[in-house]
Amino acid sequence: MKKATQLALGVLTAVGGFFDVGNIATCTQAGAHFRFQLIWSLILATIVVIFLIEMSGRFAAVTKKALPDAIREHLGFSFWFVPFLILTAVHLLVLAAEIGGICFALHLITGLPIQVWALPVAILVWLFLWRSTFNAIENSTSILGLITLCFVVAAIWHHPPVHEVLAGSLPSMPSHDPANYWFIAVSIVGAVIAPYLFYFYSSGAVEDEWDSTYIPINRVVAVIGMGFGSIISVGAIIVAGIVLAPRGIKVSDYHQAALMLTEIFPFWGYLLFAISMAIACLGAAVEVALSMSYTFAQTFGWNWGEDLEPIKDARFSLVYTIALLLASLFMVAGIDPLKLTIMTMATNAFVLPFVTIPFLLLMNDRKLLRDASNGIISNIATAAIVVLALVLAVVSIPLTFMGGS
Amino acid sequence: MTKQVHVEHLYGRRVRDRQDKIIGRIESIRATWKGNDCVVEEYHLGAAALLEKLGISIGRLIGWMPREPLSVPWDQLDLSDPDRPRVKCTLDELKKLSSRA
Amino acid sequence: MREQIDIIRDILDKQLVDRDHTAMGRVDGIVLSIDDGAPRIDHFELGFVVLACRLHPRVEQWLRAIRTRWSVRKSARQIVPWSAVQDITQREIRLDVHAIETSAFDWEKWLRKNIVSKIPGSGEE
Repeated sequence: MKKATQLALGVLTAVGGFFDVGNIATCTQAGAHFRFQLIWSLILATIVVIFLIEMSGRFAAVTKKALPDAIREHLGFSFWFVPFLILTAVHLLVLAAEIGGICFALHLITGLPIQVWALPVAILVWLFLWRSTFNAIENSTSILGLITLCFVVAAIWHHPPVHEVLAGSLPSMPSHDPANYWFIAVSIVGAVIAPYLFYFYSSGAVEDEWDSTYIPINRVVAVIGMGFGSIISVGAIIVAGIVLAPRGIKVSDYHQAALMLTEIFPFWGYLLFAISMAIACLGAAVEVALSMSYTFAQTFGWNWGEDLEPIKDARFSLVYTIALLLASLFMVAGIDPLKLTIMTMATNAFVLPFVTIPFLLLMNDRKLLRDASNGIISNIATAAIVVLALVLAVVSIPLTFMGGS
Repeated sequence: MTKQVHVEHLYGRRVRDRQDKIIGRIESIRATWKGNDCVVEEYHLGAAALLEKLGISIGRLIGWMPREPLSVPWDQLDLSDPDRPRVKCTLDELKKLSSRA
Repeated sequence: MREQIDIIRDILDKQLVDRDHTAMGRVDGIVLSIDDGAPRIDHFELGFVVLACRLHPRVEQWLRAIRTRWSVRKSARQIVPWSAVQDITQREIRLDVHAIETSAFDWEKWLRKNIVSKIPGSGEE
């Protein structure tokens, strides 16, 4: 029974982590600009993320160690230091984008400017972390997150042309604006394979005291949880492709994205979009902030745990406190949340080699994992993922300048 | 006179032989227990030692097995200047030593 | 404890815990002492300065300058003598100490006392 409830961890990671501000931004842009043509990049990224999540969970279950802990220990401080700094910076940007998403949702509901909401939102997320235990966070966000299913409902309601959706599931050359096409493709991959997912998921498995008997459950969680998140994202692409694309609405502002649900829910479509966005981003903000605390505590060997009261792990708690404060300043400064999100997702794609290369090294360590180390299929997949990550890292920067406007 | 050497500074340091030729980097330091003490036995050098330390089985996947790592017994490594560790013999003598062991 | 051990792989960078399994930092540095016989482990070193030195000597000097002004820790390098090591497992190294009494917890204690306990809901009674 306890193990059945572990599926909640997967659903939380799926809804909070998979479907977040990055997916909302990149999927609506993909649908609005290229209809269903970019669904393939979402599917590709989902397959990658399933493999990586499965490996993070299996590693934590067997070694009782989360990723940052194991990377520092086995690959050494000198190896980890630069990726650690870069990932900290990227996590801060992602956190700022998630806070931006919540602020925008509140702006949509109340009409008050985004800047006004920055600090209250940061405090709300902080209160959640300061007062709750890991399980409370896990359960509440996964139940609330079900509201994002409205994108799937809307997609089905619109009766999308099935053959076109299937055609979009396979890669194809763009009919127009190739630089923008490839930029959005890279951003979708960056949004789906968000680095914090793996540090959060493996640390969560350690918090939940997984052992080797969790390996099968972990596999189910990875496939179903990530698949679930992916279906919501496909829903968002389809709705944007049907509602926004024919009207020539290019999403350069979240206000335009918010129109996508108004066709089937004329009266409360706006509100539904805002609430979905607020909840998806809240769940993700909590996970990103926790990931930062996990990464710091494990890198330096501090005592950590979201179930401890803050007084028992002061350094752990202060990392997310400071991170939330700094991240909220982006919105206080009046940076456009959509632009910030899109740039951050391209940055996510850029740092993927730092995330994926340790997987290749750690998952093959027979002294650590023994029978649970990677088999041939996982290894070929990981090697392919590392190659993909290196390609994305090389192309993401020039594409940002060519197609990111 | 007791001398102190930092392991974290030896790690990855290039080792030279008597003829000043670089023979590899220190990747692993093997030790055993003598009573309560942890005593160094030998140093392993080179890429093979690095892979051995990482426990990598990837070599097997792509059909490439690295050679045995070069091992230097503790008494053959001169650490009087820890920034420039040096073996007291030549590379050939070292290989003979490790094949005999 | 196992027969053969790799000092770099099995000890350097490993998690340290105290008697009650409270995490108390990592093995940031290891010092060997060499007299007549084979080198043996003398002590571990902990602290940001030790880590900085591993990156680059200049980073260490720079950090030293900052910490003389700001740090709440008494000494730059916390020394853990080899004799304090109780057990080395696959997962961690257990020390025969009480973490809260060591300087590994100087920052933690300072933050608890001066910041965290002043924020409501921290669990401080």
